[in-house]
Amino acid sequence: MFEITRRHFLSKLSTGIGGAALASLMSEKSSAAAIGEKLIADHAPKAKRVIYLFMSGGPSHMDLFDYKPKLNELNGQQLPDEVRRGQRLTGMSGNQASLPLAGSQFKFAQHGKSGAWVSELLPHTAKVVDDLCFVKSLWTEAINHDPAMTFFQTGSQIAGRPSLGSWVTYGLGSTNENLPGFVVLVTKKPTDQPLASRLWGTGFMDSRYQGVRFSSGKDAVFYLSDPDGVCRSGRRALLDKLSALNKIEFQNELDPEIETRISQYEMAFRMQTSVPEVTDIGGEPQSVKELYGPDAQNPGTFAANCLLARRLAESGVRFIQLYHPGWDQHGNLPGAIRNQAKETDQGCAALITDLKQRGMLEDTLVVWGGEFGRTAYSQGTLTKTNYGRDHHPRCFTAWMAGGGVKPGMTYGATDDYSYNIVGADGQAIDPSKEKFTPGAVHVHDFHATILNQLGIDHTRLSHTFQGRRFRLTDVHGHVVKDLLA
Amino acid sequence: MLDDVYIHTRAISAAEAAVIYSGNALSEITDRALLREYYFSAVNGTARELSKKVNAARAAYRTEQDKVREIVTMRETEIPRPAYILARGDYTQPTDKVERETPAWLPPFPTDQPRNRLGFAKWLASPDHPLTSRVMINRIWQEIFGTGIVETSDNFGLQGAQPSHPELLDWLARDLMNHGWDHKRAVKQMVLSATYGQDSKATPELREHDPANTLLARGPSRRLSAEMLRDSALALSGLLAETIGGQPVHPYQAPGSMWKEINNFLPEYKPDKGEGLYRRSLYTFWRRTTTPPNMTLFDTGTREVCSTRRTVTNTPLQALVMLNDPQFVEAARKLAERIMKEGGATDETRVKWAYRHVIGTAPSSGQIPILLELTTQQRGFFTSKSSDAEALLKVGDSPADPALDKTELATFTALAQVLLNLDSNITLR
Repeated sequence: MFEITRRHFLSKLSTGIGGAALASLMSEKSSAAAIGEKLIADHAPKAKRVIYLFMSGGPSHMDLFDYKPKLNELNGQQLPDEVRRGQRLTGMSGNQASLPLAGSQFKFAQHGKSGAWVSELLPHTAKVVDDLCFVKSLWTEAINHDPAMTFFQTGSQIAGRPSLGSWVTYGLGSTNENLPGFVVLVTKKPTDQPLASRLWGTGFMDSRYQGVRFSSGKDAVFYLSDPDGVCRSGRRALLDKLSALNKIEFQNELDPEIETRISQYEMAFRMQTSVPEVTDIGGEPQSVKELYGPDAQNPGTFAANCLLARRLAESGVRFIQLYHPGWDQHGNLPGAIRNQAKETDQGCAALITDLKQRGMLEDTLVVWGGEFGRTAYSQGTLTKTNYGRDHHPRCFTAWMAGGGVKPGMTYGATDDYSYNIVGADGQAIDPSKEKFTPGAVHVHDFHATILNQLGIDHTRLSHTFQGRRFRLTDVHGHVVKDLLA
Repeated sequence: MLDDVYIHTRAISAAEAAVIYSGNALSEITDRALLREYYFSAVNGTARELSKKVNAARAAYRTEQDKVREIVTMRETEIPRPAYILARGDYTQPTDKVERETPAWLPPFPTDQPRNRLGFAKWLASPDHPLTSRVMINRIWQEIFGTGIVETSDNFGLQGAQPSHPELLDWLARDLMNHGWDHKRAVKQMVLSATYGQDSKATPELREHDPANTLLARGPSRRLSAEMLRDSALALSGLLAETIGGQPVHPYQAPGSMWKEINNFLPEYKPDKGEGLYRRSLYTFWRRTTTPPNMTLFDTGTREVCSTRRTVTNTPLQALVMLNDPQFVEAARKLAERIMKEGGATDETRVKWAYRHVIGTAPSSGQIPILLELTTQQRGFFTSKSSDAEALLKVGDSPADPALDKTELATFTALAQVLLNLDSNITLR
């Protein structure tokens, strides 16, 4: 029998970054992910993993975090041209005869030592603001859901690029031998905003880096359960014989790929135990269950997914991507956003608290945000109790926590209408993605900062496809240093 | 609010509508055209009979028309739409107008051809074109040998790889054109070549010197594609429906991959009944936003970008597909029926027949005892719990042959599963 050297292994399995980036499904211990880290990082990583709470649909920043008393005063007045500054609106509100400003119906208060403004919609989040780093000046180029989400999740508005989680697992590998490195959890609820598997897909990278969606059904992972009528000992016995036959094949062929296959079948067998173990929250102590609230008892809810995210993080999953759809309030915003906030608030706050209690917040980067914000003016008729808001890419709020970002801070500011990002002098600015605009955070900057916290230089993590080296951040992106602790 | 509701058995005339609306009598209408329409629509028996016939004929015509499959094609516009260079790619910022032209570093566009799609096709396929035939034959080579003579089959440019065997590539390209671009002939030529026929086994030295087999000193070895794996399992089991063409089909989908879960707009995924479950993977319905997992896990890509080559991976999730996907379990089950019917009467003859049927060679003396032990062991499991055998035989839509003993059939299903999951079945060597 011939020893399989690391070089053999790499020559067969790797593509890109000097042949060192390794599979999402291979462990750090047994793979060369450590080499990969050395190649791509010029500094020690602050975060070992990411939990990204994607708020799909575009949460209304001025009803949640971006407090605008002036907008309340101006309620009902027309959006001034000098604020709109020639912006092209969507077809949904672009032909409205009137664009009446709509103040928020919700009460805001300052919370924590940091004095961050949070609306009454998010009482739990309000309690953890001193752990959060708010970015009030995020901006994107896309104004419709699909391209905007594709932009946030893959760095390009056009489909076909690897997702953020794929880039991370491609660069860093996994730290668990029995679980995928990139796991996706989608809140189970009827929604009018579709998600697409491309958001956690690998684009032109190979399938090892693809996000593995854990569903709340019988099989958390596709094809996880043995077929009916196959018992565990029967499967074990079958695999032993399969393995023995494959070993004979290896002795004949000496192709290291055969040994890899043998070990992948073993890992599949282990996953059949490890996945149900990690997804079973039954054993969590009562205090934790209370922390996440009653929703967490119901598989597939956002709160349950937050708790599951913590368990996956604990088990060494590198990138955990949650999706909570339903933030697209074109009409009836006051009522709809209340439910939406209720579905997510406690889970978010519990996740932060839970991670912190376990000492895991230090090296876990938690990200909360959607694909764009919403307009200061009302889409549809503005009444005393009702308004809607259209998509708004020019400015919106996201927060990060842990993973080496500054806790209890707010970065960037918007004008009195929460319509434009403003510079230090309070005047509206036109941020650029080519040149870093202090105070404004473009999608590429956001990505560059996330990768930076993981110890990845976003300009050096690349993958060749069709003769071109691609990056998550295209040819742009700047690490927003002010966000870092 | 509604005051009255009238239901008519024919489309009423304008005159009648006016009467209902105004409450006036029909006799008050003086417009002759309206009256005429009313007369033929409501009174004259012959006209009414004829109009019924016309309607029936129209309905029949439409029904016939619906049967014709519509296929979207492209046609040149009379006047080509002008094209512009866009500043930074922004469609609101056109700059210089550009004409239809081929790259200057390639052969000139023939002067006697129209500058449209037809002319372009003629230029592309002209015998002097240095790229088309090389690119094409390289793709066929890649299909057969796993890697192209130019490894970057999607890129023959400066950033692409150099050909490993440039003269061979040139010869094959010319040969392809000399034989009327006959792909079938090209494939046959390759698979009958001595190079392809070589043993894929390699000495450690050779592996060390040429790990990727660029120099072709051994035969190709590569994992089968997602489609080949599924199709060959269906073929080995006898389930494969060999119908050619037609509408896409909906085979089994993994539980949890339901379209509705991530997209509420979509209808529930409904697997076909019968033949649709067993067609070649080529015909599987493909939704790019929710791709079939048993395909993408084997590197088919999502079809969102053009891709001429697939990376080949080896992951635990693939093992789960091969072992647990109802498509493969059912195939193993039906293969077991063939093993029992066609493989003789003893375990030994059956094991040998099955191995040869799936792998294409006879099992070695080292493998036979393992296969026999496997059979004995699995028979033990299914004998001790006969309900397990019954449950396993219910996976998939096709019924198990009632003439065969259930425990035995389950036992040989396990054997079939092992054979389908053998590296020698998954990898072409």
